[in-house]
Amino acid sequence: MVAVQYYLLLSGAIFCIGLFGILTRRNALFFLMSVELMLNAANINLVAFSFQYGNLTGQVFSLFITALAAAEVAVGIGIILVLYRNFGDVDVTKATTLRW
Amino acid sequence: MVISASLVTWFSGPTLQTAPPIGDWVALTPVLLLGLTALILFVIDSIDPDDASNTPALAGTAAVGTVLALGAAVVLLAAGIGQGQGGALRLYGGQLIVDGMALFFTVIFTSVATLVIVASYDYLADRVYQAEYYMLILLAATGMTLMAAAGSLATVFISLELASLPSYALVAFLKDNRGSVEAGLKYFLIGALSSAIFAYGISLVYGATGRLGLDAIAQQLSGGTQLVGILGVGVLMVAGGFAFKTASVPFHFWAPAAYEGAPAPVSAFLSSASKAAGFVVAFRVFAVAFSPDAVAASVDWTLAFWLLAAVTMTIGNFAAATQDKVKRMLAYSSVGHAGYVLIGLAALNAGQNGLVLGASMIHLLVYGFMNTGAFLFVALAEHWEIGRTFEDYNGLGTQAPIACVAMSVFMFSLAGLPVGGGFMSKYFILVGAVGTGHFVLAALLLINSALSLYYYSRVVRSLWFEDPADSLSIDGYPVGLYAAVIGAAVITFLLLPGIFLASDVATSAASALFA
Amino acid sequence: MASPWIAIGALALVAIAIPLGMMVVSSLLRPTVEEQGKSATYESGEIPTGSTRIRFNIQYYMVALLFVIFDIETVLIFPWTVIYRSAVGSAGLVAALVPMLVFIGVLVIGLAWAWRNGAVRWVKSPRAEQRRQERQRQ
Repeated sequence: MVAVQYYLLLSGAIFCIGLFGILTRRNALFFLMSVELMLNAANINLVAFSFQYGNLTGQVFSLFITALAAAEVAVGIGIILVLYRNFGDVDVTKATTLRW
Repeated sequence: MVISASLVTWFSGPTLQTAPPIGDWVALTPVLLLGLTALILFVIDSIDPDDASNTPALAGTAAVGTVLALGAAVVLLAAGIGQGQGGALRLYGGQLIVDGMALFFTVIFTSVATLVIVASYDYLADRVYQAEYYMLILLAATGMTLMAAAGSLATVFISLELASLPSYALVAFLKDNRGSVEAGLKYFLIGALSSAIFAYGISLVYGATGRLGLDAIAQQLSGGTQLVGILGVGVLMVAGGFAFKTASVPFHFWAPAAYEGAPAPVSAFLSSASKAAGFVVAFRVFAVAFSPDAVAASVDWTLAFWLLAAVTMTIGNFAAATQDKVKRMLAYSSVGHAGYVLIGLAALNAGQNGLVLGASMIHLLVYGFMNTGAFLFVALAEHWEIGRTFEDYNGLGTQAPIACVAMSVFMFSLAGLPVGGGFMSKYFILVGAVGTGHFVLAALLLINSALSLYYYSRVVRSLWFEDPADSLSIDGYPVGLYAAVIGAAVITFLLLPGIFLASDVATSAASALFA
Repeated sequence: MASPWIAIGALALVAIAIPLGMMVVSSLLRPTVEEQGKSATYESGEIPTGSTRIRFNIQYYMVALLFVIFDIETVLIFPWTVIYRSAVGSAGLVAALVPMLVFIGVLVIGLAWAWRNGAVRWVKSPRAEQRRQERQRQ
């Protein structure tokens, strides 16, 4: 059996990869993929700790996170689609009608 | 096989063996009414999607649904459900908690939703996809009322997403308008990022405690934990998720863009109801699950919220003072008000928990009406198409005096002058900050309020004391928008003498959290 | 404790070694003849028209979206099916069945709404229509 801290390391690494992707990529679709990575890092933690503690709370919650991630992507792709129609690009830095 | 066996024990636990008594369903009436109304709208729109003539039916159904939910929440609050000796009602194994705080915030959400829906009827006239608009508002309101009643981190996350996902779509609702689409994109990007951070924070808290229920976490933490670092990082990440929802620093960047680009009624909905929803969950999670003593070894989050409160209100107010568009000014002022409310969290654990948290709740109630009203006035101006800057509002008082009186009430109440409930609620926060010895926060509150008087009074000066431009002309007085603006103004004004009615409820509801 | 990891490590090494070895061996064995036809998309000589980066009909997106939503819902239904029998035994038919029926009912309302609003109706893209007409004219 693999000790739980290795799962924590794995999930931390995946979370950081996702965060790095968000901070460096300008393509909105890569942004979505990076968010997906971060959510799945949370899932790894939940499942690993669920096994560690011997209760199923974490596993069931990770199912909910999976479902919500799909819903989020559905809404996100819709928004990116109208972004493409209005700005002709999926570069998130191109949309600058309003100041940040 | 192991998993299925443990699933059996999980499902056949105490939650399923006894079907919930009828009282549980009654306690959730506001939530169920909102969700049911949304489903009814789906059905109505399915009957003939291409028929534009059923718009009044859609808006009417949505308004009736929110008014019924508001009535149910008020009745439950008055009947003392989940308050007093019996304590909070714990439903479905503690996943949902109905108590004074949940019902108090449900009143805020349903009131704001009602005002927004009534105003939207005129604002949306001649636009397509109206059915979707009302559905999304109702689904978001359902999510917010669930947030107020969430009793475990799992329900917190799910209800937060239920409130957020429709909001993203609502901000980008004007899909041919570049500003709206851009606002929706920015709101979505930062929202998705913060919800990922929030989920990861929850997973770390689960790692440190092995529980997701708020009470269970508190119980587990009272015995101490070895995983001090993991818990600390998890708590901070959860706090980050709330900072997004409440538009506080460091996740406030979306707020000016989203509020400015979104349709004005949606800005009203998000800046009032969505912000209050973020705060109610933050109150519950941090007061119940991560009580300052229990997590003292990991992280001193009252200090973190102290910093956030100070920075948020200062940044919000200084940025608001430099704006030249009214809507953007209101957006930054909304960030500033989040800072005032954060004082309630920063001042916890100083012996007056019920008082300071109650003060924040009252401010959110008053803010729900005055800020919604202010944004709906902007919606009225957008309906008239008179422009967005302060100068464009010049002399509007000569054309639409009643709406301008209402707007003046909102502005002065937001600034904290005694023409509306905003004066009393800010006073309560001030008393709470001084009473718990947070003199720096109290001083910052006073300085920022004085500064805010400058930019709020700019609007009032434009409305009444500047000469109107020659081209200024308004066409018609839309009934729905007017009703919503005037209704919000009347309630804002009535909350000045009537604040003590609400403050008793809020303070006792907040105290019950710590009992 | 350690032995299964040695086996897994050996397996990983073999898994990496086999494709690498095949690539090395084939690059040593194969004759290298410079010829342009080999780099063509279709070595049969068919010349491709246009690039591969074309825009897809938006309808693919709608269908894919509906698929993703309903695919994910099975994730939530599946645990329920696993314990359904014993849940009926311990909690009764109503308590085990009705919540799931409500859940599916909400989904069905959503699906019916999407259906009525034309999410699964195949709209013809104007570009494809135009191309078809051009082909007929030729």
